[in-house]
Amino acid sequence: MAPDLLASLILVLPLASAALCALFLRRQGGLASAVSVTAAAAIAVCSGLLIFGGHREFPASWEWLRFGDFALSIGFKFDDLSALMLFVVSFVGFLIHVFSLGYMHDDPARGRYFGGLSIFMFSMLGIVLADNLLMIFIFWELVGFSSYLLINHWFERPSAAAASKKAFIVNRVGDFGFLLGIIACYWLNGTVNLSELATKGASGALVASTAIPLLLFCGAVGKSAQMPLHVWLPDAMEGPTPVSALIHAATMVAAGIYMLCRIHVLMVPDALTAIMWVGTITALYAAICAVTQRDIKKVLAYSTLSQLGYMVAAFGLGSLAVEHDTATPGEAALAAGVGAAMFHLTTHAFFKALLFLGSGSVIHGCHHEQDIFNMGGLAKKMPVTFACFTIGVLAIIGMPGLAGFFSKDAILYLAMENNTSVFVILTLTAVLTAFYMVRMWKLTFLGTPRTESSAHAHEGGFTLWAPLVGLALLSIFGATGPLGLFPKLAGSIATLIPVAHGSAHTTILIVSLAVMIVGAGAALLFYRSDKEDSLEQASRGFFRVLASKLWIDEAYGYYVGKIQQPFARALSFVEKIALAGFIIRGLAGVAGQIGIGARALHVGNVHVYVYWFLIGVVLFWSYAMGLF
Amino acid sequence: MTVGLDQYLFLSALLFAIGFFGVLARRNAIVIFMSLELMLMASTLALVAFSRFNGTYSGNVFVFFILAIAAAEVAVGLAIIVALFRHRKTVMVDELNALKN
Repeated sequence: MAPDLLASLILVLPLASAALCALFLRRQGGLASAVSVTAAAAIAVCSGLLIFGGHREFPASWEWLRFGDFALSIGFKFDDLSALMLFVVSFVGFLIHVFSLGYMHDDPARGRYFGGLSIFMFSMLGIVLADNLLMIFIFWELVGFSSYLLINHWFERPSAAAASKKAFIVNRVGDFGFLLGIIACYWLNGTVNLSELATKGASGALVASTAIPLLLFCGAVGKSAQMPLHVWLPDAMEGPTPVSALIHAATMVAAGIYMLCRIHVLMVPDALTAIMWVGTITALYAAICAVTQRDIKKVLAYSTLSQLGYMVAAFGLGSLAVEHDTATPGEAALAAGVGAAMFHLTTHAFFKALLFLGSGSVIHGCHHEQDIFNMGGLAKKMPVTFACFTIGVLAIIGMPGLAGFFSKDAILYLAMENNTSVFVILTLTAVLTAFYMVRMWKLTFLGTPRTESSAHAHEGGFTLWAPLVGLALLSIFGATGPLGLFPKLAGSIATLIPVAHGSAHTTILIVSLAVMIVGAGAALLFYRSDKEDSLEQASRGFFRVLASKLWIDEAYGYYVGKIQQPFARALSFVEKIALAGFIIRGLAGVAGQIGIGARALHVGNVHVYVYWFLIGVVLFWSYAMGLF
Repeated sequence: MTVGLDQYLFLSALLFAIGFFGVLARRNAIVIFMSLELMLMASTLALVAFSRFNGTYSGNVFVFFILAIAAAEVAVGLAIIVALFRHRKTVMVDELNALKN
């Protein structure tokens, strides 16, 4: 099949499925889930044909709108980068659709849920395939919308309704910057088409501006939940667990990093430095927050934040080599950042989707218990989930041989080469990652059951464990290394990954092993299988500081409630007095007064009217004569 | 003394002024109506005078139209006044103020 037709089919299928589910199948949950999962399977097949069929950079662009000489086109840019992302979205997406079949089986609003999943797939694949920034922006907003729908799935819970609103509004802040960036890019460079920008970048015709990449990065800060717009992601865990796996771990939140890699030609060193620091600080902050969480999904949410910070930092680190090593062309050094970020994005999508689906399986097995201190001893009750979850945990903490090990090492190596302070922070983050992941793993699966719900836990059906096995295999084989699949998926992207040689290789290996052993060992030894948090018992004050998450939510609450709200109220007051009161009511009053005056002329006597008529004639006459 | 255009126009203006004064001063609707007719005839007189002094017939043609329409208008106007009298038992315009308030 022609590649452009195949790419169109990838977009049309989920849209058709979403329309079918939303318009006709809202009451028929079983049928809707069948339609949606079939669509996801068909997308995976089409993507497979497209990715492994060797089609790259085929021409596919159609004019959509034209205002004067400004033309808006829709089209596909399909290179190795989008092929990699397409694989992640379509295959991980398919496995999560299958998991949803089991997880959402008893939900009364299944039709709505699967319609939401399909509209999400449509929007996300649109971002992946888009060939210009405006098209990315349109689908960017659409993923925001579908994320809102799915977080809000159980809208009768006030917390879910609030979380979906928060996610939407916080993203709006970032998207405002993104839109400004697109406008600035069009204004200064005359195009927002990715291929044209790349051509201009290669010939040095791009306007070097720090503002454009930073404004575009605002969009990524919102969507990929970087500091300071990270607040929505932990709350978004109110949505069903498969949604958290699909949207808030594997695909949508990674769209920010993908977008940065798409526009890497626009980057300048200053912007990259800022991006690097945002990512690094987010990675550390989120890892600290994750240590005190009790909710299994919140731990994973903060872990996602932290790993996203890693990717953003990796992208930003690509720049600093430009300053360090003048012998290396800037493009190649930047590409190392792209390679490391996309590599970690891919492996993270595999193991984090695995961890989320594993947690979904646990939550399902424990009858919707999410507090890890109410679990315990699940290893014997849910052996498949336990095995897969363990692989996920080992992958994220960097066990040699698993996917996370390779990608994390690539980032740490890049950091070690370029910026020592970033390297130290990222290493510390890695220690914390191993610590909180093993804490969660131990409290959930080891020890003895601490509550009724965990005592009666059971393994779910085929649709619940089969996707776990699939993702576990991807978490093992989805990287480079002797058995790695990654080079086959990523093509030229895989060659961009920085690889340590010689003594640097040994250093990185020792550091990452030490990090894993220290973090994991500390958690294994420190936490007891208890209903209370061991850290809280050991040091209440320290725990409280960590659990406060640096009062960022409170600061935003204070800002909105105590600064923005009174300001808005003052404006509203001014509006009511000056505009509505003075100008609008005032004008109405003037008209009323004129009316009252004019009514006095209406006396009811024909003779008086003749006089009015006479006066009128005299006025007209004198006006015609030019007397006034 | 030769009777020229000026004299005709003076007569026409005088008739118009008398008619207008009648409309202003009289209370009886029939008299007001007669005064209106007088004003109309004053203007036709002016038209005839212009036509005569320009040596064309267009003014005369106008006058025929005006006479025809005035006849129709008188028929309608008098009919209204008769209907008004039957209904209100008066044709004094200062008593006909039903539209006020």
